[in-house]
Amino acid sequence: MTGRRFDWPDLLFGVFLIAVAAGTFAATWRLAGGTAADMGPGYMPRAIALVLLGFGLFFAGRGLVRAHAGIERVQLRPILGIGVSVGVFALLIESAGLAAASFAAIVIAAVASRESRFFEVILFGLFVTAGAVLLFVKALALPVAIWPW
Amino acid sequence: MELFDNLLLGLSTALQWNNLIYCLIGVVIGTAIGVLPGIGPIPTVALLLPFTFGLEPASALIMLAGIFYGAQYGGSTTAILVNVPGETSSVVTCLDGHEMAKQGRAGPALAIAAISSFFAGTVATIVIAVLSLPLAALALKFTAVEYFSLLVLGLFAAVILAHGSVAKSLAMVFLGLLIGTVGIDVNSGIARMTFGVPALADGLDFVPVAMGMFGLAEIIANLERPEVRQVVSQKLRDLIPSRADLKAAFPAMLRGTFIGSALGVLPGGGAALPPFTAYALEKKVAKDPSRFGKGAIEGVAGPEAANNAGAQTSFIPLLTLGIPANALMALMIGALMMQGIQPGPQVMTEQPQLVWGVIASMWTGNLMLLIINLPLVGLWVSMLKIPYRLLFPAIVLFCCIGTYGISNSAFNVWLMLGCAVVGYFFIKVGVEPAPLLLGLVLGPQLEENFRRAMQLSDGDPSVFLTRPISAVLLGVVAVMLLAMLSPAVLKTRKQALAE
Repeated sequence: MTGRRFDWPDLLFGVFLIAVAAGTFAATWRLAGGTAADMGPGYMPRAIALVLLGFGLFFAGRGLVRAHAGIERVQLRPILGIGVSVGVFALLIESAGLAAASFAAIVIAAVASRESRFFEVILFGLFVTAGAVLLFVKALALPVAIWPW
Repeated sequence: MELFDNLLLGLSTALQWNNLIYCLIGVVIGTAIGVLPGIGPIPTVALLLPFTFGLEPASALIMLAGIFYGAQYGGSTTAILVNVPGETSSVVTCLDGHEMAKQGRAGPALAIAAISSFFAGTVATIVIAVLSLPLAALALKFTAVEYFSLLVLGLFAAVILAHGSVAKSLAMVFLGLLIGTVGIDVNSGIARMTFGVPALADGLDFVPVAMGMFGLAEIIANLERPEVRQVVSQKLRDLIPSRADLKAAFPAMLRGTFIGSALGVLPGGGAALPPFTAYALEKKVAKDPSRFGKGAIEGVAGPEAANNAGAQTSFIPLLTLGIPANALMALMIGALMMQGIQPGPQVMTEQPQLVWGVIASMWTGNLMLLIINLPLVGLWVSMLKIPYRLLFPAIVLFCCIGTYGISNSAFNVWLMLGCAVVGYFFIKVGVEPAPLLLGLVLGPQLEENFRRAMQLSDGDPSVFLTRPISAVLLGVVAVMLLAMLSPAVLKTRKQALAE
């Protein structure tokens, strides 16, 4: 990603906007547009998507013409660690309860950092899980099961 | 005097026991996150939003507001003691504040920062009270046409005065507007872009979006940089500043308060722009500008006053017009809507005890901050010893639980994950996510007013230019956009926002 032939940030942002605009057109093509005086549900989304398409083309074009800008290298460890942690929480919270979901989320999130230490994480995870259960379920009365049974 | 009646009404709300306690909770949490780098007020407010649902509207807003201005205090403490700005608004405080600490004058620096903040907070409270009435009266005359133009002005001004490339920020506003149209169309009852997901019928909840883009994406980006260890070596001896210190700081405090109050009202102002401007001004009016950066007390007093005044007066557009000046105020609008209050000029007349209670609570909150910050400063500094490797998993967990708690749906947690990935992408390509949040929150109102205006005018867009108030508002937008294209303005803006 460190190629210097394009302005990568501009180019990628432009492509992203074009993709969003295209997705919007695809998702709303069946909705009625209506007229300006009597707008249908599809009017505003498509109008905004059109503007986004314009911005996208502008940035992508500028990114192709202007050179000399790379992107800092993407590191996989942080994004994977945090991503999997949140995903596991979403999967566990309804089936396994808050305690298990919290502990799993803490331990997996800790993997995202190179500096985490194994025993410290386990202890800290137990501590924060207990704290979260007390704070959210007991004190703030969040209606969620603590245990899977 | 109507003004005093209103302030008294506000004080009677703010001084209720439970509201005092919520205010205290707010400012304590605010100070804590202000001290801790790596978590800002936006994800914190987003996190606490779901739990304010059961509170009285006034209590909820008092607490959330406390987090916002409490964070300004906490941020300056770490800026002075360890040269780490807890928040962007305290970046300039580092320059002279930390220099003072190095010279063994950490105590006076902290005291001046706190006193300046308190002074500015008090003045700003009065400014809000004075300005709110005429603005709200003006806003009550607005029809859909004027309101649409006002929203456009708010969005554009927020983008132009904030950090980052204007073109990219504008694109982000539109992206936010687009996301805001997801859900069932109010007028026709037809689902738009819900992709058959029933959870999307009510539209995208902005809490997971805010937490994903501001909380989680920020953590992912932070983890890519190596951790910097903080060493706190300062011994705090005497906190009380000398008479000479006070004498030097007072004019700077006044100027900072004035700048902060003025800039805070502008959309996009908030807490980031005023301190930079105040610092530049102090340097300009000083007899010996070379002292700055070497521990000049004016360099602490001016920006600190400006940042606190700005943080508070940025509530004016929100309370009077229902328009958020920055992403955090957009969350406040969300808090109002969760309470079933439609933000807008009518809030002022329909819910006076809410609006004036929040305004008066800023003063009580500032008093509390003065007390919890000066004598207890050691406690806050010791929080810096918590290493980031332990802090971030806890933040991730709290984001998950908070998002889940909005409506007990795992869908929102997945949505937050998606927003975190997109937010990380935005950080990588150097785009600010704040305008997106503004667009998302204001989108439904903008569409509603646009459609109503077009219905009234029978589809003739010239109505926005033939109505005088609307024409003036849009004229301001045009002037701002044209000014942005001129190279001279572009250069000064770059300088003002640099550092």
